[in-house]
Amino acid sequence: MTARSPRPPRPLDTIPDETATERPTAPAGHHPILGHVRASIVLLILTMVLLGLAYPGALTVFAQEVTPWTANGSLLYNSTGAAVGSELIAQNLSAPWLFWERPSPVDYNSFNGSPTLLGYSDPALYNETEGYLQEYGPYAVNATVPEILVTVSGSGLDPDLTPGATLVQIPRIANATGLSLPVLNALVNKFITAPLYGFIGPYYVNVLLLDLYLVHNCENAQHQGVGTCITGS
Amino acid sequence: MSNPLALVGSYLDVAIVFGLVLAAAPSIGNFMGRVFTNRPTFGEGVFGPVERGIYRLLGVNPRHSMRVREYISAFLLSNAALIIWIFLLLQLQNKLPLAAPNIPPMSWDLALHTSASFSTNTDFTHFVTESQVTEGGLLLGLQVAMFLSAGAGLAILAAFIRGFVRKDGTIGNYFVDITRCVVRILAPLSVLGALILVLLGLPQTFATSLQFHTLLGPVQTIPLGPVASWQSIMLLGSNGGGIFGANSTHPFENPSALSNLFEIGLMMLIPFSSPFAFASAVRRKGEAFPYLGTILIVFFIAVALLIIGQVASNPELSPIAALSQNSFYSAGQETRFTLPEGALFQTVSVYGNVGANNMAIGALSPIGQMAMLFGMFTQSTPGGVGTGMGYLLTNALIAIFVGGLMVGRTPEYLGKKIGKQQIGWAASLLLIHPVLIFGPLVATLLGGFAALPTTGVGASAHTFTSILYEFTSEAANNGSAMGSVYVNDTTLWFNVVGAVVMLVGRFMPMVAMLMISHHFSVQTPLPPGPGTLKTQSFTFMIYLTLFLIILTALLFLPALALGPLTQIGAGG
Repeated sequence: MTARSPRPPRPLDTIPDETATERPTAPAGHHPILGHVRASIVLLILTMVLLGLAYPGALTVFAQEVTPWTANGSLLYNSTGAAVGSELIAQNLSAPWLFWERPSPVDYNSFNGSPTLLGYSDPALYNETEGYLQEYGPYAVNATVPEILVTVSGSGLDPDLTPGATLVQIPRIANATGLSLPVLNALVNKFITAPLYGFIGPYYVNVLLLDLYLVHNCENAQHQGVGTCITGS
Repeated sequence: MSNPLALVGSYLDVAIVFGLVLAAAPSIGNFMGRVFTNRPTFGEGVFGPVERGIYRLLGVNPRHSMRVREYISAFLLSNAALIIWIFLLLQLQNKLPLAAPNIPPMSWDLALHTSASFSTNTDFTHFVTESQVTEGGLLLGLQVAMFLSAGAGLAILAAFIRGFVRKDGTIGNYFVDITRCVVRILAPLSVLGALILVLLGLPQTFATSLQFHTLLGPVQTIPLGPVASWQSIMLLGSNGGGIFGANSTHPFENPSALSNLFEIGLMMLIPFSSPFAFASAVRRKGEAFPYLGTILIVFFIAVALLIIGQVASNPELSPIAALSQNSFYSAGQETRFTLPEGALFQTVSVYGNVGANNMAIGALSPIGQMAMLFGMFTQSTPGGVGTGMGYLLTNALIAIFVGGLMVGRTPEYLGKKIGKQQIGWAASLLLIHPVLIFGPLVATLLGGFAALPTTGVGASAHTFTSILYEFTSEAANNGSAMGSVYVNDTTLWFNVVGAVVMLVGRFMPMVAMLMISHHFSVQTPLPPGPGTLKTQSFTFMIYLTLFLIILTALLFLPALALGPLTQIGAGG
């Protein structure tokens, strides 16, 4: 192998820089400030038209064509075809016969803003958690309540739960609906989403999807006279 | 987490994303460097004619190179136009196209805070976006600012770097710089990013909301909008102001673990490529590595601290017998992200001065909050788009100056002497940061504009930290917020003081960078001599890292002692 000697770096002052070819002398009688004001305003208007309107506009055309379902909010429909929620957004499901989601101080409504959470070692945190726990307490049969069920998510709209926090609710739903524990266990297991490709994301359950299925199945069961699970709202 | 293989596996996806971005960084940095130095780039046939058309409309001669006074005038006027426009727009938003009947105009102080916030690349929001800004305000005001403020950051970096390259006393043309940076870097990358975000399931529509009856009957209203196109430039341009109040914890902004990973990459792309852009612009390939190394060391310490703080279960909750604690403290976390996924997003966001969040910073452990604050104190590991690299270079200049004096070397960098003027401006740039943080903090507490709760050390230290965090985030043009239930930060005081902090915190350091560049640009470069400090070395990287950490700690440790450290000392 022939050893190549490294090329010495070029001295910086020999580098041509394409804009440096003209001296900074403005034409006589021309005030640079006025030019700057004009350029600033035109730049603003151009950005507004091209990047404020045309860019999201073109993207919207693309999205409505290619991914219309997610582009319009990932809506879920009931058996009669009416929208009942978005797959991605939590809603208030606090009926005894449904799986519950995490608590939301903004009442599952993002127009109310995002929750302001208590500090990590704020003494009020104990009471707040106890308060949420009271709502779950009577229903947790022979089990402690998983932390995730009584802590607020960052958005207050988290539609998901860990599998453990879903499974722990089964005794309550069995009591309210008359469905058997194995049936509910199998149902929850069916709705556990595994990490994508085995390593992206956690194991979780989308509670709204699960409840939608539960309600739908119960309605069918009621029609056939084999179950009494839904008391309606 | 008991299975060690599973533990490694849970870090696999974030490691892959991190590795991919670092692998792409040299090429992207090289491209950026060519954009900065007005060389032809990939896609010249498309970009060239577009830019020439824009120059004609702007009335700008692209071959005219400005001296520093003219450059600063162009830069400040252009930003003033943007700030005034948004200030007026938000106060008239109910009378303009794309208005909504239920969204009132903003009060003058909120409009001031918001226009300062978005024009300075901060994006600190004192409002709930979906309830308080119309679609017209979003698209014609705030989204315009997201492109132009990121473009301005890149333009200032380009002008800063030119000081090292030129000797004719000019530092470029501001309008050429911002045009090239938006046309060649920000616009194409954000279109590409938005296309992928659409495919990853983000909403993209001009409808602003949707109503339906939920499973149990009551009406639920959910906000919609052109989310993907917004989210793309928000993350790419280190902006961080969400199209929804809940930011990237909102499932529409960040619906899945996969979208979370892609959004991490979008945020990392420009800041982590910037060392290579600098090296390419000064044509010294090896200059990139000491800077990248410094960034990575500080960054990894922060990610580790955030995760360590979070994996311990919260001792505050352990007395509750009926509770089984999670493998990590779950308040403020979203279920669809693992802890490493959430933590990498959050650290990239704060350290890249994006300020988006996919967890509630207010619920983090005090160690995690301290790690986040540290990134806003340095502003340069890697820092925001353009400005972060500028801060790191300024730190390096001081480090070279001090180090050179200590070992008897000539204080010079890339053949340019670091003189009194450069050090003066560099020091003022660094010192304005603590002044902008501590001044308002002290005034707020002494003036009674916010009161600390007296219900316990945990509550009062947390609230102190949240006010410290607010002014730090504004001074660093970061935009992330901690929030405290005991403080209302949407008052006249916080709006006006916050606006001033953001404006000074943005424009004073940028003017300082331009002045440093100016004082270099009038020098004829010297050939490297035996007395030149070798910056392309491992030693220099370690030196710069320690210099940065120690300097930052000296400036800010007292504040950390009163906030997060008190909270840790008081028992978690």
